[in-house]
Amino acid sequence: MAVNQSPAWKALQFHAADLEQQHLKDMFSANPERFQQFSFSAAHCLLDLSKQRMSSHTLQLLNDLAEQQSLKQKILAMFDGEVVNPSESRPALHTALRQPENNPLSVNGTDVNAEVHRSLAKMEKLVNQIHNQQWRGFDGSPIKSVVNIGVGGSDLGPLMTCRALGQFASEQIRAMDIHFVSSMDGSQLARLLNKLDPASTLFIVSSKSFTTIDTLANANTALEWLINASDVPPEIITQHHFIGVTATPAKAVEWGIPEQNQLHFWDWTGGRYSMWSVIGMAIALQVGYDNFRRFLDGAWAMDCHFKDSALDSNLPVLLALTEVWNINFLNIHAHAVLPYDGRLEHLPAYLEQLEMESNGKSVSLSGEPISYATCPILWGEVGPNAQHAFYQLLHQGTEAVMCDFIAPALRYEDQSEELQKQHQLALANCLAQSRLLALGDSVLEDADSAPAHKRYRGNQPSTTIMLDRLTPESFGALIAMYEHKVYVQSVIWEINPFDQWGVELGKQVATSLLSSFDDTSPDYTAADNTDSSTAGLIRFVQDLRRENS
Amino acid sequence: MKVKVYGADLSAWVAAACLARSGNQVVIEGPDAVQTQPLEEIPAIRDEPGLLDQIEQQISSGRLIRSNDTSEQHSSDIHWLTFQPNERPAAEALVSKLSKTIPHNLLIINQCNFGVGFTDQLQNTLNDENNQAVVYIPDNLQQGKALQGFSQPKRIILGTDSDWALTMTRSLIRPYLENIEHLQVMTAREAEFTKFAVTGMLAIRLGYINELANLADEMNVDIDVIRDGMGADPRIGRHYLSPGCGFGGQNFSDYIARFSDIFEKRGKNSLLKTVISENEVQKELLFRKLWKHYQCNLNGKTVTLWGASFKPGTASIDNAPSLKLIEALLAQNVTVKIHDPEALDNIRSLFGDHPQLHICDNAYQAASLSDALLLVTEWPQYWSPDYDQLLSLMKTPLILDGRNIFDREALELYGFTYIGIGR
Repeated sequence: MAVNQSPAWKALQFHAADLEQQHLKDMFSANPERFQQFSFSAAHCLLDLSKQRMSSHTLQLLNDLAEQQSLKQKILAMFDGEVVNPSESRPALHTALRQPENNPLSVNGTDVNAEVHRSLAKMEKLVNQIHNQQWRGFDGSPIKSVVNIGVGGSDLGPLMTCRALGQFASEQIRAMDIHFVSSMDGSQLARLLNKLDPASTLFIVSSKSFTTIDTLANANTALEWLINASDVPPEIITQHHFIGVTATPAKAVEWGIPEQNQLHFWDWTGGRYSMWSVIGMAIALQVGYDNFRRFLDGAWAMDCHFKDSALDSNLPVLLALTEVWNINFLNIHAHAVLPYDGRLEHLPAYLEQLEMESNGKSVSLSGEPISYATCPILWGEVGPNAQHAFYQLLHQGTEAVMCDFIAPALRYEDQSEELQKQHQLALANCLAQSRLLALGDSVLEDADSAPAHKRYRGNQPSTTIMLDRLTPESFGALIAMYEHKVYVQSVIWEINPFDQWGVELGKQVATSLLSSFDDTSPDYTAADNTDSSTAGLIRFVQDLRRENS
Repeated sequence: MKVKVYGADLSAWVAAACLARSGNQVVIEGPDAVQTQPLEEIPAIRDEPGLLDQIEQQISSGRLIRSNDTSEQHSSDIHWLTFQPNERPAAEALVSKLSKTIPHNLLIINQCNFGVGFTDQLQNTLNDENNQAVVYIPDNLQQGKALQGFSQPKRIILGTDSDWALTMTRSLIRPYLENIEHLQVMTAREAEFTKFAVTGMLAIRLGYINELANLADEMNVDIDVIRDGMGADPRIGRHYLSPGCGFGGQNFSDYIARFSDIFEKRGKNSLLKTVISENEVQKELLFRKLWKHYQCNLNGKTVTLWGASFKPGTASIDNAPSLKLIEALLAQNVTVKIHDPEALDNIRSLFGDHPQLHICDNAYQAASLSDALLLVTEWPQYWSPDYDQLLSLMKTPLILDGRNIFDREALELYGFTYIGIGR
């Protein structure tokens, strides 16, 4: 029986028909205790769900749904290393990546915990060597700039975290430049190579399979740049200017990265769940290994909370069920992520991958097409900037959108008064927007008299997540909360959140088209097994190239 | 006169010894630990040629007394301050106390590196009408020649506005004016600035000649020839134009760093800041040359360093290029064998018992089975070694000359591979 035929689901549908009629402003005026009832805390995070269109009964029914789906057992199954990714026959053990040392966890006869810490220890050694300025380039200069080449999970997580926690770098470390390059067209890399000194630049090539074409294309350009600048043979360049981070050591060796320059992780680490592993090398380089460890500890605190707490006070579970309520019972299919702290500028892009690549699925675990909504469209922007961009749609458009407002309570504690005021300004805006979205213009005395184009209907639900401060610990906990939320939703929806078959076919088709762009390629016609649009566009490029050659 | 010297570093001991030798009754007061330590164990004394003898003589004559008794202050006429750059609060506290215990005729000589304007700040806490005055005298301290620098200076600058203080100071320094070429009185602020300016100018010359030498390396010209040509121009002269593998020393480096900070606090891009950072890079020059020679792989090699002190004539290794070289080599799993006529104890106490660092009392023993000899400090005994013996001892006859003291052609005739700086 599909979940949407189950009793718990039906009960929620029935309940929704009733609750749909209620406006948030009326719920607030009817119940002055909403904040106390609908806010929850754990691991540096305060989760306020009181601006969601829910009653206590809703939470009860959602809890019933979770129990019906055996959520508690499914959570333990993930932690214990059971195969929760059946289409690839793998466990998903990102939680093992942050589990403290000396907690043996056996998977297929291997102690995963020991392997994780062996791998981290090697990374720590390399990080310290670089920070101590004893990693040398081809002319003996110490490394000053590091470029992380990776895409998807090998880029978004490390980039986001470097930006979020950059202030925690010690002064010595801050002198080091960390850059990120992902785009296959080379535009980021080309701009960067103009500025960097080859002799003191180190490239981290991060690819789980070490076959990712985007990443290898950039790595090849970097290698060529170094060879041209140095007059040194390629094997010496790769030895002193490249570190490979991969789950496929043989492929990295094939590309030219010697074993001693490699850091390894495992096929049970999903790309979008991998920054806690040696994929986080760039993070450790940016903020120092100790702060990287704090970041893992923060995530582990959330892991423990997720594993051990009752469902009705469990932050990731509550966050997930609330969204299931919005998506499947209130029919909201757009989700905006709105951090009110510029350090979190890359959080929306990170969550786009985490959520949409994980739960953007329409086939159930048993292989059946499903007939209910799963992951919504998710996007976002630093809140204050988004206020000048798409908030118009949130307030007065025709789409229902659920929002996550995210902010630290305290910031700039040891800094200037003006900066502290800027943070207060951001907080005031954060709370004003969520208040207005929920209550509409009922916050004004005489809103009724305004013309229609000045009215705010409200009733847009939102969640507010407040951290005490943005620290490596609280940030680790925040991200782990979202990871676990995604898993809980997948359990409700009965889908596999750990595969991504939808990104495979495009790569194959691209490979088949690539040769058409060679100079020697003959004129392309629709007879070459494509459609007329593809053929027409290829011809357009071919013709222009010939005219300009 | 009765003089009390405050401080524990080289400038304190030199001032105390020289002032006592001229007949003054001198008390030197520093931290308890230093005052009770045997003289020969104090690095500042041990590392400076002739200083230990002089201090012992003055102590046995009774004119120099070591003390940690702060209650005796009021019995001295002149208070001579040589605090470390990080001891500013201690200096301020001392002056504040002296101003109360000696309400009239209090003369303080400031020789500390506390930045431009510090002497004025001290003076503002005193009563000049009662002849409480601070005079700034920039030190002429050159490690290795410190006694001579104090007792036979060619130039002296006195920074003060007070006639009374000037008279008293002149009488105190009269014994040292025999060789004087230039004595100038200016405000304390100007004197402090001058000290910085001189030190900075010398650093810039060194930085520039090093930069030229590195370029000469790449452009295949000989820096010695260039240097001769430059130095013949009287507007330039020959001083401070020897390229090398970086300059060091405590005093010099402190002053430049502090002066650079002054520029930076005013938001200016400082030439000195570049000189300082380039000098740090220069200190690793021999490492880079070696690294390239062995095609980026030094793993398991044995490398000899001749010279550890930051310059000849001193045992001091403060900010010495040898330290950066040792660290860089050890990090590449190189066995380092080091010799120095004076500084080996300091190296030993800094690096401890590192398994890959061999401290050798004999220069030739240090070269045995070596893959390269790095000449880091131009001690006189290194200038003309027994080449045959070196050749037979070394595994690979490779010499990297960080001070350009050897003759390339001669060395190549012997069969060495020679790598110099800028030639």
